[in-house]
Amino acid sequence: MATVKLNVKWGKESFSDIEVDLSQSPLVFKAQLFALTGVPVDRQKVLLKGTQLKDDDWGKAAPKDGMTVMLMGSAEAVPVDAPKNAPKFVEDLPEQEQEHLDTKRFGAGLENLGNTCYMNSTLQCMFAVQPLREALYKRGAAAGSDPTGKLVTATAELFRDLEGGGAPFPPYGFLMALRAKFPQFAQQGRDGEYAQQDAEECWTNVMFALKEKVKDTDGTPAVDKLFGIRTHLALKSEESPGEEFTEDGLAFTLKVNIEDKTAHVNEGVAVGLREERERTSTALGRTALFKGATVLTALPPYLTLQMMRFFFRRDNQQKAKILKKIPFSLEFDAYEFCSDALKKQLEGPRQAYKEAQDAAVEAKKLAKKGPGPQAEAPAAEAAAASGADVDMKDAVAGAGASTSAPATTKAMTGKYELVGVVTHKGRTADSGHYVAWVKQPSDGTWVCFDDEKLTVRSEEEVLQLSGGGDWHMAYLLLYRAIYADVPVAAEEPAAAAAGKEGAAAMEAEAPASAGAGGVVGP
Amino acid sequence: MVAPSDPKPAGKDEEKKGAKGKKDEEKEPELSEEDLALKNNLDMMVERLSDPDPGVVKLALTSMIAEIRSATASMTSVPKPLKFLRPHYDALKARFDTMPAAQSENRACLADVISILATTKELTREVLKYRLAGSPSDLGIWGHEYIRHLSGEIAEEFRVRREADSSASVDDLMTLVKQIVPYHMTHNAEPEAVDLLLEVESLDMLEAHVDAKNFGRTCLYLTSCCAYLPEPDDAAVLRLALRIYRAQGKHHDAQRVALRLNSREDVESVFAGCEEPLAKKQLCYLLARHGFALNLEEGPAAVEDDDLRESLREIISNSKLSEHYLTLARDLDVVEAKTPEDVYKTHLTEGRAPAGAAAVDSARANLAATFVNAFVNAGFGQDKLVTVSGGDAASSGESVHWIFKNKDHGKMSATASLGLVTLWDVEGGLPQIDKYLYSSDNYVVAGALLAIGVVNACVQNENDPAFALISDYVSNADVNIRTGAILGLGLAYAGTGREEVCELLSPLVVDTEVAIEVSAFAALALGLVFVSTGREDVVMSILQALMTRSDVELATPYAKLLCLALGQLFLGRQELAEATVEVARTLSDRISQFAVVTLDSCAYAGTGNVLKIQGLLAMCGEHITAEEGATHQTAHQGAAVLGLALIAMAEPLGGQMAGRLLEHLLQYGDPVVRRAVPLAIGLLHTGNPDVLVMDTLSRLSHDQDAETAHNAIVGLGFLGAGTNNARLAGLLRGLASYYYKEPTALFLVRLSQGLVHMGKGLLTINPYHTDRQLCSGVALAGVLSVLFPCLDLKATIGGKHHYLLFALAAAAKPRMLLTLDPEGRPLPIACRVGTAVDVVAQAGRPKTITGFQTHTTPVLLGAGERAELATEEWLPLSPVLEGVVLCSKNPDYVEMEEGK
Repeated sequence: MATVKLNVKWGKESFSDIEVDLSQSPLVFKAQLFALTGVPVDRQKVLLKGTQLKDDDWGKAAPKDGMTVMLMGSAEAVPVDAPKNAPKFVEDLPEQEQEHLDTKRFGAGLENLGNTCYMNSTLQCMFAVQPLREALYKRGAAAGSDPTGKLVTATAELFRDLEGGGAPFPPYGFLMALRAKFPQFAQQGRDGEYAQQDAEECWTNVMFALKEKVKDTDGTPAVDKLFGIRTHLALKSEESPGEEFTEDGLAFTLKVNIEDKTAHVNEGVAVGLREERERTSTALGRTALFKGATVLTALPPYLTLQMMRFFFRRDNQQKAKILKKIPFSLEFDAYEFCSDALKKQLEGPRQAYKEAQDAAVEAKKLAKKGPGPQAEAPAAEAAAASGADVDMKDAVAGAGASTSAPATTKAMTGKYELVGVVTHKGRTADSGHYVAWVKQPSDGTWVCFDDEKLTVRSEEEVLQLSGGGDWHMAYLLLYRAIYADVPVAAEEPAAAAAGKEGAAAMEAEAPASAGAGGVVGP
Repeated sequence: MVAPSDPKPAGKDEEKKGAKGKKDEEKEPELSEEDLALKNNLDMMVERLSDPDPGVVKLALTSMIAEIRSATASMTSVPKPLKFLRPHYDALKARFDTMPAAQSENRACLADVISILATTKELTREVLKYRLAGSPSDLGIWGHEYIRHLSGEIAEEFRVRREADSSASVDDLMTLVKQIVPYHMTHNAEPEAVDLLLEVESLDMLEAHVDAKNFGRTCLYLTSCCAYLPEPDDAAVLRLALRIYRAQGKHHDAQRVALRLNSREDVESVFAGCEEPLAKKQLCYLLARHGFALNLEEGPAAVEDDDLRESLREIISNSKLSEHYLTLARDLDVVEAKTPEDVYKTHLTEGRAPAGAAAVDSARANLAATFVNAFVNAGFGQDKLVTVSGGDAASSGESVHWIFKNKDHGKMSATASLGLVTLWDVEGGLPQIDKYLYSSDNYVVAGALLAIGVVNACVQNENDPAFALISDYVSNADVNIRTGAILGLGLAYAGTGREEVCELLSPLVVDTEVAIEVSAFAALALGLVFVSTGREDVVMSILQALMTRSDVELATPYAKLLCLALGQLFLGRQELAEATVEVARTLSDRISQFAVVTLDSCAYAGTGNVLKIQGLLAMCGEHITAEEGATHQTAHQGAAVLGLALIAMAEPLGGQMAGRLLEHLLQYGDPVVRRAVPLAIGLLHTGNPDVLVMDTLSRLSHDQDAETAHNAIVGLGFLGAGTNNARLAGLLRGLASYYYKEPTALFLVRLSQGLVHMGKGLLTINPYHTDRQLCSGVALAGVLSVLFPCLDLKATIGGKHHYLLFALAAAAKPRMLLTLDPEGRPLPIACRVGTAVDVVAQAGRPKTITGFQTHTTPVLLGAGERAELATEEWLPLSPVLEGVVLCSKNPDYVEMEEGK
């Protein structure tokens, strides 16, 4: 008797005229629904006029003929359980960490321990050199217990702390070690407070200490590999044309000499490389004026430029500062200062770099028109290629990779990108304030480290540090080499000269640059 | 007797003569020959009045009257004959006194003359005095100006007599009134007739004089003046208007008045009285918008025809609301889901470089994003956070579903936001929500229950899924699940008065074993379900809860929710709440004052009652020095400030006045009072971002007192709710960067940003609808459920009870005009949308909108805007073009020929 026809609504779907036998338990009806919708019986919720249908009993809500009932439940079981890796929230963190949360990934600030801004800014800038960090972590611990070793260990520890990020801390350990090793930094003023120091001096001295202790497996100092600029000086005298002095050297910074006419960093470098010397001429048998210029015979992965803004004024016995505006750019091309041999080596990679850049521009245009697979393919390929660096030294690691991918390797282009600036604000060298501006290797944001304070800055703001006013002006400029992918065959000769220094750095560089596609750089 | 002259030509005459009169006046000192003759003539007649011969006197009077009647007044000058007669005023009076009673006819005529002359003098009721002594002639012959004077004096005399003796006879006055009213009613002066009848307390007389020509203006005036009348009169005029509309067969108008009266019998009888199916459907759309539950199955409003009943049920249950809303969205091309970032627009914030993706999620920021996402995508059924299928992402273990990116109660709100996103779409929304009921996380289950309620808010599905799904969870052991279930029920059945909900929740309100939190939410849910019904058993339960709870519990913000629930039950019911107010006075001093104020202001919500406003104002003005830790002593002041806005919100004049009062309170009020002011401003101007108000709130949002600033931010959100106002959005962006470091303030700024972009600008939460004539009780209850807790912002919205914000679902409605053809299909028609013009008591047929633009429906209506059809082809079934309007083809329409 009790057969009724029901309409069932299931979400937006509906099934009409389902015959239901009321003499049987509702479970049978639910089984019917399962057959229709695929919703498991235990997940079915059948709704009739404000009540849910039970499994065993029709209850008082026995459906009438032609009624519409509602079915809830989904066919595929979707578990909505809490994820195991429940997210951590800012609010759960201690208050102090919350405060520096947004700058945590950039590192931490360093407290000023009394005129130590020169040291803080130098360290922050140095910290930006990732290969140096890694070299330090590897070797720093076993540096020894002499003052130099202690300083190196302190540096390594400090870098680790900075990497942790978060709240600013006082770099006591490092300062003690620095003053123990180089007593000039412990110089005190008249009132017993520590005096302001020169950031460049600090930079050079710390580098010197690191050079001594942090060495690679083959005994070459890591600092040499990272910052060492091989130079060749050739001097000639007008008086005796046949004679020439040559001198090979290793420098760690390029000086930017500021003269009246200097209008750009490049001009300053050119001036800094010119040399005039009086020396004994064997041909003439007397001292004569020799003139010439230094050329660079090998380029480092990291190039440091020092603006010669401070000089000692004899008239008032003070270290004075040149406030002149010397514009610099985010990219520095060292090509014009290189020796002919090096220039030749660089030409191939430079061409490759230019092509890669043009390709990137093209790809961008294509992507704008319509993101097709063609546009992405070369980029992906290039990315794969760059991941498979051929490492000249570490054959074990390199062997596997070089066979599988089209053999390309990275080579110096002579171009550099700006990654760090130490600036000075103030009228004289003994007063004012040092601050470091560092481009984060992770995401390319510029961060200004002003002792314990970290601020995000834009590229425009960095370019405004060129001087010519009372605002911060660049004192040390840290550039990182831009590499280009070149076929292995072309790399062979280049590797002989440039590769030696670059390879160690490249090894460290790889993780940071893997995502950059065909071109390593900006 | 002289027949009354046709008013219209006379009016024209008047104008001409008035113009001439003006010219004459310029050369005032020297009288023209004509005037001199008139003056001498009149002087002579005055002299002749003293003549013993009645015949002479009669002749003099008749010619005098003829002179007076032939001259008519302009607004600026006194008619010539009256001007010349004025000096003789006292002489005429003296003559009247001395005239023998035998010359009764002459005496009456003289009285007529003196009476009309008295209109030019500033005297006490002499017009009336001599009118009563005058001849029983037709008053109309003396012109409109005279009648106006007379009406005024009748009203005054009436008051004086009644003040002296409440049973004094006023029959002589009433005789005059009986003459004046028909005159007004037939001469386009309906407002004057209504005014006079109101003054002499015999409004019932009006009905006899209303006909098809003048009922419109009469009723418009009646319904408009209602806001300015004292308590019994306001309902009386509405009832009169209702009777007139019904007599004229204007069902939609009658229904609006019935809804305003909040009288179920009237609504039902109007509904039953409307025979035409299409008109009945239109009434259902009105009832649906108002949130009025009507039983179509049985009772006085039952519909016999099954098919018709089914289609009416579909309309009144708002089942098609989601569909209509999406039609509007598609037409305006705003279907694409928006992310919170689309609302924040951080790239436009100056000075603050984006910090990029922080390594750690902020629960606060995520919670804000949850709400912003829910508000902005409300009702669209799709978004980019919660409805995104977690299936693929979850299995890969890579990304966490958005719900779990929230913390504790945040998860509850995040799940519940699913309900807001799928708002009104019961069939589409429930399946998405259902799976969360199986979650092992109690917060998620609680949120899912709330979501079920939100989806069903203002929509009654025939299968009634909400009760079936939620009811079992009400007795759950977990307090959060309980809360979610209770609020879910409250929202799903808001305004429906469902018995089962009462049975289920009432025990929870009374039970002192359960946490006061649960009791309070149960009461609030009941307040929403039984809004403005004044149901006794619910009232008793809440009162009992307030009586039995300990003082410690009564000091919590939850106790205030109990009071609010009580207020919601009596929303707009005026004197019905009196008994309960008396009981509330006897409560513990922790809460009694707050309860009394809340109850009183809710009961008089939207009435503009001046006495109540004064009472509340006095309360706000008190400077109470509360002892340490005894905040309850001042708590009622906050409620009083909100009450001010609540009572005054009905009509613009009262609103403006309240605005000025609030400005005062800001300057002189105590902190508790000041803090509530921004909320009150938000309530007064919900969804109406007036520039001046915005400036006030913007100023307050930088207030030194953090709580004032917080409330001002919330107020800004209410001010711009659903408007997409660019100025307000910019302002809030500025606030977001200003409060960058203050999580609570930033959270509120985000909320307000979400509110401003609610429904991508297609929604409003203003409870006033249908040309601001009606206040939806459900919507107001929903808004109050958010604003009252804001009085304790830190403990409620800013704390863990942020899910109360979903109560706004009860208030959210599309602010659209959608026209449908008789079959219920969307019908694009040209229409004009412009600023509404107040046409009450305006002469002639004034334009109802100004500065309009022509659009094609569906179209958005902003605050203070009104629409009219721009075509004669279709006739709307509702005189107010708002919401869903059915249109039928105009049988008389003739297609205009091309080129003409």
